[in-house]
Amino acid sequence: MNSPGHAWKVGGTALLIFVVLFPVFFIVQMSVRTGLEAFRMPPTLSFTPTLQNYVDLVEGKFIRALMNSTVTATSTTLLALLLGVPAAYAFSRARFRAQGLVSLWTLCTRMAPAIAFGIPFFLIYKELGLIDTRVGLIVIYLTFNLSLVIWMMRAFFDAVPRSLEEAAYIDGAGVAGAFVRIALPLTAPGLATTAIFTFLLSWNDFFYSLILTRSEAVTAPVAIVNFMNYESWEWGKVAAAATMIMLPVVGLSVVMRKYIVHGLTAGAVKG
Amino acid sequence: MEGISRRRFLRSSAVAAALTATGVRPSRTLAQAGKPYAGTRLKMSQVAHAYAVGLLERLPAFEAQTGIKVEIDQMSFPVLNQREDLELASGSGAYDVMQLIFIRSGRWIGAGWAEPLNPFIDDAKLTDKAALDVGDFVAGAMAPFKRGDTIYALPWLSDSTVVGYRTDLFEKAGYAKFPETFEALQEAAAKIHTRQTAGFVTEDNLHWIFPNWLLSYGGNFFANPPADLTPTFDTPEALKAAEIFTTMLAKYSPPGGIKLDPSVAQAIMHQGKAACYLDGMGNTQHIIDTKKTTLADQMAFTHTPRGPKGHFPQLAVHGYFINRASKNKNAAWEFIKWAAGKDQMLWSALNKGHLACTRSSVLANAEVRQKFTWRGSDLASLHLAVMKRAGEGYMVYRTVPQFPPVGDRVIIAMTAIASGQTNVADGMKSLQKDAEGILEKAGVKINRRG
Repeated sequence: MNSPGHAWKVGGTALLIFVVLFPVFFIVQMSVRTGLEAFRMPPTLSFTPTLQNYVDLVEGKFIRALMNSTVTATSTTLLALLLGVPAAYAFSRARFRAQGLVSLWTLCTRMAPAIAFGIPFFLIYKELGLIDTRVGLIVIYLTFNLSLVIWMMRAFFDAVPRSLEEAAYIDGAGVAGAFVRIALPLTAPGLATTAIFTFLLSWNDFFYSLILTRSEAVTAPVAIVNFMNYESWEWGKVAAAATMIMLPVVGLSVVMRKYIVHGLTAGAVKG
Repeated sequence: MEGISRRRFLRSSAVAAALTATGVRPSRTLAQAGKPYAGTRLKMSQVAHAYAVGLLERLPAFEAQTGIKVEIDQMSFPVLNQREDLELASGSGAYDVMQLIFIRSGRWIGAGWAEPLNPFIDDAKLTDKAALDVGDFVAGAMAPFKRGDTIYALPWLSDSTVVGYRTDLFEKAGYAKFPETFEALQEAAAKIHTRQTAGFVTEDNLHWIFPNWLLSYGGNFFANPPADLTPTFDTPEALKAAEIFTTMLAKYSPPGGIKLDPSVAQAIMHQGKAACYLDGMGNTQHIIDTKKTTLADQMAFTHTPRGPKGHFPQLAVHGYFINRASKNKNAAWEFIKWAAGKDQMLWSALNKGHLACTRSSVLANAEVRQKFTWRGSDLASLHLAVMKRAGEGYMVYRTVPQFPPVGDRVIIAMTAIASGQTNVADGMKSLQKDAEGILEKAGVKINRRG
């Protein structure tokens, strides 16, 4: 246990954790410093922390932006799973003509960078009155998250032996019953992983929120940029807002980490 | 100038019918009460700025006086650039009043997206000309928004390049006064520069800072803007300017000095880590913020240095204009008159520290002069002098429609040269080639140089 090799491993792990977490630490400590302290050179570790940046955010419009992010990301995740998981199951189990082509076409919204779709979406949304609405953002996020859900979940369903569902059919279950009672519980880790990825993609979206919102539906990633005033940038607020944006994702990841690990390694040691 | 929509007509008819049916007679309409636009809702896009905070503070009084409701969307400058461009290009009337960014004025005015203001100004029913006093806007600030006699926006912000500096450090290096030329500044920076204290600092928007050198050395972005837009980055004058400017960045700036946003550049001055700071007045004035520094008593302000061809301080201007697609143009004009009015601008100068204002009456105001005089430096006069100088016409290179992409390329070139990725000759040659490509792609006829 106390061999030099072990010490190297511990040291290396600690170094890796430090490197990975340093930006997070930097942002969090900056969020509790005053504007004067934020850029003190050389940086000092002894300072009187302040929550003023957070107070300013709560008193300003940022909370509304955070709420918009929460509503759009959560709704998108739920809808994408609701529509995408059965579709993935169908692609995994059913056999029909042009299956490969249809499956491929579900990826079309991911075949080009977001900016390629930006202007057409803006023009369509303008006509439909969907600019600056949460519904508009949810629909957009759904278009590119659905393909992710379908392709990720299809792989998880493929890993579930068909014989289990066939046994259920013999016991009188229908397709829906086999899907809900057999296939879905067995792919729960995959479902959790997919949900988190879907949530993250919507939660962190900047581009669509930038072009399709104005003030009512603006989300947190765009609201942060608006702390960059013409005269000076409010780094304290930027750091506090970044910390607030990170918190729900970190919390979600911690709660679901067991499923995420299972989901990511599912099938890794199978033949 | 405004039509009545079918929906508005039907709504009004329904209200009238209901009132008639119930025998209720409106005692006095809002219009009769001198509020012709009562009930109108305006939306405005504006960069996040102290001036906008001032507008928001006093907005209730404007709304009570006119009955107009105004929603001000404040956003960061990069977001504003993108969002306004998209809104205007799509013909969206979502914003009634918008910020005219001067480097985009060529494109936006040229495309017909900004409503000419002369019909509003000249209509006695809409404008009290004496109160508006268009002549009070300094010519240099108004220039980017005029095409001939037609006015497209009223300026509310004009940022003039000036220098804030540490008198103690320059005196210690043997300079009783701040150096008058860029070459003298470079010599002084070399004497002052140490590992602890940089000789010079500026912000990272280098297409805004570099022209202070470029024009002073006889160079320009284009051969003869706006008539001849052939890029001129490979001239001996441009090369000399680039050499001196990038040397300042590479040798006499703080670590990472090529990429410092204004807040960080100001913080460096606050902490005594640099001897002088060249930037727009709106940024530079903050170096004496006593809440952030104990060195304010050792700082002073002066005009930017000159080069062999003269003194060419830069001026950035922003104005308010009416979106051509707006359905509430008269109400929008009512708001603009108030927002860029004398009273609002003076109040902003005195209460929000808005020195970068555009009206000569505000800059001549005794209270403003007193407020913005620091250790003998009269910042209001400095700012006014730059606006007047810029009014002579040399800033026209920034308002040609193709400036923004060329400007972005200038930043890349200056960064590459200052960071040692390339030398001055190759960097400027590459910039020239790229700029020619940008202009030709935009359909501009240029005279290729070699």
